[in-house]
Order: sequence, then C-alpha cells, then structure tokens
Amino acid sequence: MTLLKKTSALLGATVMTALVALGAGSAAHADDRLKGKRVIFVPIAMGISLTEGWSRRMAEQAELFGIEYEVRDAAFDMKAMSELFASAINDKPDIIVAHNPTVQLLARQIKKAEESGIKVMQINLSSVQNSTAFVGADWNRIGREIAEDIVKQCGEGSGKSGKVAIVPGQLTAADSVLMNDAAFEVFKGHPEIEVVSNQASDWEPEKARQITSTVLQQHPDLCAVFGHWGVHTIGAGNAVKDAGKQDDVLVYATGGGNRLICDNIEQGVIDRYWSYNADGQGRDAATMMRVILQGAAPKEGEMLRVDSPLIVITEENYSPSLCWDMPS
Amino acid sequence: MSGRSIESLVLALALAAAVIFAVFVNGFASWQNVSNLAQNSASLTILSCGMAVVIITRGLDLSQIAVMVAASTAFGILLTGGYGVPAALAVALVAAVMLGVVNGWLVAYFEIPSLLATLATAMLITGGSRWAILQGEFLVLLPKDNPFIAEISSGRILGVPLSVAVAVAILAVTGILLSQTIVGRTVYAMGDNIGAARLSGLPVRAVTLVAYVFAALTALIAGLIVASSSGAVDFRTVTNGTLLFEVIMVVVLGGVSLRGGRGSVLSIIAGVFLIAVLRNGMTLMNLSTQAQGLVLGMTLITAIVIDNYRNPRDPETETQGDL
Repeated sequence: MTLLKKTSALLGATVMTALVALGAGSAAHADDRLKGKRVIFVPIAMGISLTEGWSRRMAEQAELFGIEYEVRDAAFDMKAMSELFASAINDKPDIIVAHNPTVQLLARQIKKAEESGIKVMQINLSSVQNSTAFVGADWNRIGREIAEDIVKQCGEGSGKSGKVAIVPGQLTAADSVLMNDAAFEVFKGHPEIEVVSNQASDWEPEKARQITSTVLQQHPDLCAVFGHWGVHTIGAGNAVKDAGKQDDVLVYATGGGNRLICDNIEQGVIDRYWSYNADGQGRDAATMMRVILQGAAPKEGEMLRVDSPLIVITEENYSPSLCWDMPS
Repeated sequence: MSGRSIESLVLALALAAAVIFAVFVNGFASWQNVSNLAQNSASLTILSCGMAVVIITRGLDLSQIAVMVAASTAFGILLTGGYGVPAALAVALVAAVMLGVVNGWLVAYFEIPSLLATLATAMLITGGSRWAILQGEFLVLLPKDNPFIAEISSGRILGVPLSVAVAVAILAVTGILLSQTIVGRTVYAMGDNIGAARLSGLPVRAVTLVAYVFAALTALIAGLIVASSSGAVDFRTVTNGTLLFEVIMVVVLGGVSLRGGRGSVLSIIAGVFLIAVLRNGMTLMNLSTQAQGLVLGMTLITAIVIDNYRNPRDPETETQGDL
C-alpha cells in the first residue's frame, strides 16, 4: 500500500469514525451548531440522476439541521458554471459543493474559495486543486478493475482478439482522465490487449453509437467496449446489439446505479456495470457536509476523503434491488 | 463560380478524401463501412433537407434540433407510458407541425428575423419540454425491444437500411418540392429578393409557413431515427451538441447560400457526402473528437468564405430579410 493510499485509508477511517459519533450523538446539539450555516451546490447540471440523487440527500439533511441549502445549476454550460462558482464565492457560504466538469476548469476558483475561508467539498469528479474534502468514486480503482476484467475476458488464453474500444465522455474530464490512466497502466503489462479506439462521445449516446458502429465494422473481432459512463454507453451498447454482436462483444460501463441505466443491464445492452450508487454518495456527501460544518479539517495539503463503495452489476447477478429509484 | 460548379467541387473533394482514406485507412473501403457511413449520415441528411429549404428562403431555423428532441421526447414518453405507436406518433407529429407553424408565423406575420425568432423558440421548446414533460430530466430511454423502434434502428427495405431509405425518400421529396412545385419557385424567389416576390403577388407568408413546417417535419423524422438507434433522447443534443452546427455546415458547404435563393438537393448530397466521409475516415483513424472538430470547423470556415466570394452582398437587397 502506498503512502498516499495509507493516508487516504486513515483519513477515510477518521471521517467514518466521526460520522458514527455524529450518528450516535444528540441531534439537538447538531441542530444548534449547524443552524444558519450556508451550503451552495454547483453541479454540472441538474436533471440527471447523479446530481438529483446527491442533492436530494444533501437537501434532506440541510432541512433537518437548519442549514441553508441552495443549488446553482450550470445546465451543462461550462462558462455559466465558472460564473456560478464565482458568484458562490462572492456570497461567502460556509461550504461550496463543486462538481468539476474537467480537472482544470474550477481549479483556480477552488483555491480562491479555500483561501477566503470557504470550505470546498468536491463531489465525484475531482479537480487538480485539492480542497477540504472529496466524496465520490475512486476512478483509479474503477479503471484498474475494469481493465483487469478486460484482460481476463479478452487477453491471453481467452481465445479472443484482445481488441478494445474505449469511449470516454470527455478526454479532460476527471473520471475519464483517471480511468484511462489506470486502464492503460494495466494494459501496458498485457501486449495482447490492443486499444483500437479511444474517442470521446461528449457524453452523448448518439455520438457513442456512431463511434462504436464505425469501429465495429473496422474491427469485427472487437472483444470489449469500455464506456466511461452508463448514459452514453447505452448508445455504444445499442450499436453492438444492432450489429448482432451481443454475444461476442462485452460492453463495460460505470455510473450511479439509477434504475434507468440498470434496465439496460437487464436488456443486455450493458454487460458489466461498476455502480458507485449515487444515492449512497448523496448520503455520504450530506454527512461530510455536516462533519465539515462542525469543524473537521484535513491535514495540510490533504483532503478529507470518502471513496464510494462499488457494486459490480452483471447479467448474472442482476437484481432490481441493486439499483435505486428517484422518488417522484 | 456557379452553383453547379461549387457542388461539383465539393463532390470532387469528397471523392478525393474517400480515395485517400480508402488507400491509407484500414477498413474504410468496404461495403460494410459504406453502409455504416450511410446509416450514420441518415439523420444529418434528413435535417439538412429541412434546413436547406428554410435557408433558400433566406431564413434560418435554429430551433430545428430542439424540435427534433422535443418531438421525439413526446413520442418516447408516450410509448414508455403504455400508449401505442400510432397515438405516440400522432402526438409527436402534431407537436412538430405546431412548432413549425409557430416559427413560420413569427417570421412571416410578425416579421421577426428568423435568427432571433427561432433562437427564442429553441430556448422555449427546450426549457418548456424539460419543465413540463421531463420534469427537469435530460434523458428519455426508449424501449429497444418495441417492434417499431427495432424496425427503425435495424430494419431493411430491399437490403437497404430503413434509415437510409427514409433519407433518400426525403431527398426526393425535397427535390420535387424545390424544383417541381409553385412552393419551390416561390422559395427561390423569396431568397433572391423577398420584396420583389411580395410585390409580384407571390404567397410569401404562406410559403414561409410551409418552409418552417417542412423543417419541423424533417426534425421529427430525424429525431425518431436517432432516438431509435441510440435508444435514448438526450436534451444535451440541443444544449451542448454540435448537430445544429453540422446541419448548417452541410447545407452551406454544399452550395446553399446563407443569403438565400441558391442551392438544390444536389447541394445537400454534396455537403453530406463530404462531411460523412471526413467524419467516418477520422473516426477510423482514431482521431480525437477535438481534432475532428478542428478539421470540420476549418471546413465550415472555408465554405463560408467561398459562399461570400460567390454571393457578394447585394446593396439592393441586403436590408431585405437578412438573417
């Protein structure tokens, strides 16, 4: 275990201990201490199960503890996101929850916010800039695990071609950067694995479908498609299905485990899905929010960190209970 | 350079690009790839037909992709809600026609510049659909096991993929509309000089309505093809996507002038052919999306410069019905 991993594990354990202590403690005390505190969530966009799931849990906790909670929706507009983050800094809340679209976009603003005393909690997608806390998926782990599974299914001794198409969302998005780095690190030790395509879909199902259908006809012996997010991978999976190659090409994806995407696992559009359970992440984010508001702080140069537990959903173990529904 | 010669030039460029890709890119020169290229270009071709008719009238429909997504959302929501295909199709059709009428009405009767009118309706349609139909969501998933959806995404007519057959049919309809009907002649007359067309008693307002309704209908058909193939209707196609940019690029590249009055179905075929070949070849070369955007952007700038050179601003008509 590297020093970084040990530190992460230690911090994780510390935070979880604090969470348990909070759970056991008196809500009345927390009420008094947290009442009137202010939290602003700046998501890439509302209207997707991930952000709706997180926000629902944070809003629930905020209401319970008298915290002022506000969402400033960038609606997939990167310029607007930067402006909304700047306006959030000007309003001097206690916490800004940042959902980074790329590793660079908000880096300077996160630094500025932290310097002015605002705690920044990054959720699921991290920036190159450290802040008080991070809650979300461990993308290195997901990328590594998927790549190792691809090696097992498509590599030496599998009788398959070893050809893999990667369909990232955006090449500069944190999850795509980290998953690709981890996957290529694994593939480096397996020369029989050939990445024949690595083209971003801009998170759009139709673009992912077009890329995959083109790559499939160029490489009819393709063994696996590694889509970085379930939503756009639906398009890639449907390209595989329409080409009649459902039994030959494995489609991998990751995501928050919402019912809409899970239905596609049941239908065989996606074969293997690494779920980080967005509903659970929302609960973790809400708890981290309370911990920070009570004064928890990381060591110099580090972040409080909660890595989301992962569930691998496949056709074999699929059960509706592995997915979650957004209440209407 | 005449209209026909620019189309010939674009077709020649597309052929040259195809030959280069065929020689240097593995997998390009195969029937399977040609079929794939045609299928992936079907929705772009259909949208371009609608956009071309509007642009020839010296208009522009910035709401076309919003209409496409809104109509296919209505279809998808009804289908997943248990309604039959005929009912879902009927509602989507009525929605598309109404949106086309609103666009045409704003441009023809209120004389709002098409760029502003359709920009406003695009925003209204997107916001309204997300608020009223999707309740904030960005995505509708379609049941791929539905026979209608399955037929659109992978059905064939005489061995030709259904989406390609539909695109060819829409090209034929557009050709007939533009070259064989009074509407078509009025479309060209409006693009040449809308003041003169009005003074000569041509039904300018009615034809404007027809042009925008036609664009909305092509949006509906393209939307059904895209949604059925990818299994999803995604509102980010409107808010973040580059599809509108690609449609305008195809139309202008092929020789349909942004100043109106010029262009034909051959222009659309030439534009689609070049863009489809470039995109397919670059995807096979595993070029990044950013690099592909760069090449396509350069192509569009070149097209606009050529368009400007071919169709210099006419001082007599420049204030009449400009975008």
